[in-house]
Amino acid sequence: MRNSGQSTRHLLRHLGLLALAVPVLAFANADVEKNIANSKNWAMQAGDMFNQRYTQLKQINTGNVGKMQVAWTFSTGVLRGHEGSPLVIDGKMYLHSPFPNKVFAIDLDSQKILWKYEPKQDPAVIPQMCCDTVNRGLAYAEGKVFLQQADSNLIALDAKTGKLIWTVKNGDPKLGAVNTNAPHVFKDKVITGISGGEWGVRGFLAAYDINTGKPVWKGYSVGPDAEMLIDPEKTMTWTDGKMAPVGKDSSLKTWKGDQWKTGGGTTWGWFSYDKATNSVYYGTGNPSTWNPSQRPGDNKWSMTIFSRDVDTGKANWVYQMTPFDEWDFDGINEMILADIDVKGKPTKALVHFDRNGFGYTLDRTTGALLVAEKFDPVVNWATHIDMKTGRPATVAKFSTARNGPDVNTKGICPAALGSKDQQPASFDPNTKLFYVPTNHVCMDYEPFKVEFVAGQPFVGATLSMFPAPGSHGGLGNYITWDAGTGKIVQSKPEKFSVWSGSLNTAGGLSCYGTLEGYLKCVDAKDIKKELFRFKTPSGIIGNVFSYEHKGKQYIGVFSGIGGWAGIGMAAGLEKDTDGLGAVGGYRELNQYTELGGSLTVFALPN
Amino acid sequence: MKLKTTMLFLLSLLTIASAHAQDAPYTVVDGYKVDGNTMKGFRAWRAAACDRCHGANQEGMVGPSLLASLKLLTKEEFVKTVRDGRLEKGMQSFSASPQVMDNMDYLYAYLKGRSDGAITRAKVEEIK
Repeated sequence: MRNSGQSTRHLLRHLGLLALAVPVLAFANADVEKNIANSKNWAMQAGDMFNQRYTQLKQINTGNVGKMQVAWTFSTGVLRGHEGSPLVIDGKMYLHSPFPNKVFAIDLDSQKILWKYEPKQDPAVIPQMCCDTVNRGLAYAEGKVFLQQADSNLIALDAKTGKLIWTVKNGDPKLGAVNTNAPHVFKDKVITGISGGEWGVRGFLAAYDINTGKPVWKGYSVGPDAEMLIDPEKTMTWTDGKMAPVGKDSSLKTWKGDQWKTGGGTTWGWFSYDKATNSVYYGTGNPSTWNPSQRPGDNKWSMTIFSRDVDTGKANWVYQMTPFDEWDFDGINEMILADIDVKGKPTKALVHFDRNGFGYTLDRTTGALLVAEKFDPVVNWATHIDMKTGRPATVAKFSTARNGPDVNTKGICPAALGSKDQQPASFDPNTKLFYVPTNHVCMDYEPFKVEFVAGQPFVGATLSMFPAPGSHGGLGNYITWDAGTGKIVQSKPEKFSVWSGSLNTAGGLSCYGTLEGYLKCVDAKDIKKELFRFKTPSGIIGNVFSYEHKGKQYIGVFSGIGGWAGIGMAAGLEKDTDGLGAVGGYRELNQYTELGGSLTVFALPN
Repeated sequence: MKLKTTMLFLLSLLTIASAHAQDAPYTVVDGYKVDGNTMKGFRAWRAAACDRCHGANQEGMVGPSLLASLKLLTKEEFVKTVRDGRLEKGMQSFSASPQVMDNMDYLYAYLKGRSDGAITRAKVEEIK
């Protein structure tokens, strides 16, 4: 496998131009697959294409994790929020940073920087990424490192030298189309999305050729069928308890006039891929603006789970979670693919923990809705999901559209940052459970009228957030979830939102970071059993990852507070006048942590 | 001489006090009821989503506290910052935003009132 991959590349290099003309589908896939199969690597942001965030490594286990120590650390030299994680491939680590999006290659033998790349980007994109300039990491395939820059340029670097191979412009940052997401390589394509839902950017998913950067396809989230790559007869959706074609103009019909042109549905999350269905799975974001009264209709296909053919981009099926969003329940969270029992039946499932507080289980082959239940009991904007229509049964008093502009709708759970935001969950094939980092935060939401001006913020609501009332007073929980039945198995309260991607290991561990800056490892069989904690230099919003080098297993995580979770929440609050108490909870974060990006890597002592 | 100086001193004090009263670019009652122009300033603040960086109560987030900044910046500096931005620091230019540019004086009035402590909460209402 490994040799054939190398000789293929060798051959293609000799064929020169011809290589550009010959599709190399199977080989590109093979290279990434080979890297993933070797559990010494951390070859993709989620460790695999299913977004499972699980490692086969088991040297560090429930019995010895308590002895784990810091092996080495690395400062990125950047202060803002550090999301995502490094990659490890064949003894080399590839790290990214928030804006200015530095890339480092590090030799794991010496921890020496082999090369460093820093793109030149117009600083005008910094404010457009308000309120934080995060980046969720790199992709690697066939000797290339892919970086999705903030200014929307997608680039490929030579993994050996750090030299730029190609650049392609993915959006217009002057109009607010910037990027924070990690690129993902599936087959011979690098897949990327776009940010800017708060600037009226019309979202899309795009595929570029990994060898040349040439655009292959682009499927918009909203608008005319052809531009969404939706076939009215063949693209299916859950309708009256079964799958049926979406029909003509399924998006256009759900917008007033041409509002879809500034309609949002951006795509800044994590993408997954299943070879068996040849499909990429992802979610689309909130419709623009946050003032729902201004955009009547279901606003399709914002807030939607998409399955697209990876070669053509054609939409296989869609499922809209939150029609006519009134709360900014941006639907971009990751789709985790897992083969599990759903209601007693072995199922090729897609599992998704949405910002709206519902955990969804769908049949990833057909798109059929199987399970939709609350993964935080405080969720109150809807009582349940109607399993026949697939629509939420909303609660009138929490409807910000019904209450209207300039009215403050109070006590909505969850808050706009969702019961879970982008922080990716993990799946453990041993326990068959999902390990979910969650927020336990509610909000008051006051929409107001806004005019669209290209390149200017297009928000239209003022929010204030607070810990879920009548609960443990903390802002987060770490939970285990049975996606086959839609039930919380265990819930471990956390003082602050858990904004770090989790990792499960064959050593029986589940590890995650906290906003105070702790890396915690708990027993995957009983998450209330905390086996390890260490205070890293700053709050953690990065994702835990693991690799092996020279016979030793390492567990690592970025720290570097920021993002919406950290500084974002710490100061954007009302005074303690609303009687809900504990508002100081967020401010208390300042007592634990300061800005500063670094990687901390742990191992067992020699 | 001494009398003259004292007189001058008193006069100048008077001038400052009255100038100050005249200069207060806002009118506020009960801490949150404001004149129509200051209300326009609040609407501009909201429409431009300044709260995303400066916090819903202007106390600062990723961006600095405006309660503090408006004590330091002259009006000219304020206008320049809003119009041109401070890109490296993450402050955008609002020169292309009619909502902000057309209401610059009122935006300043609203924020100055917040910074002075005269407007006691972020959300204001128009005096009826």
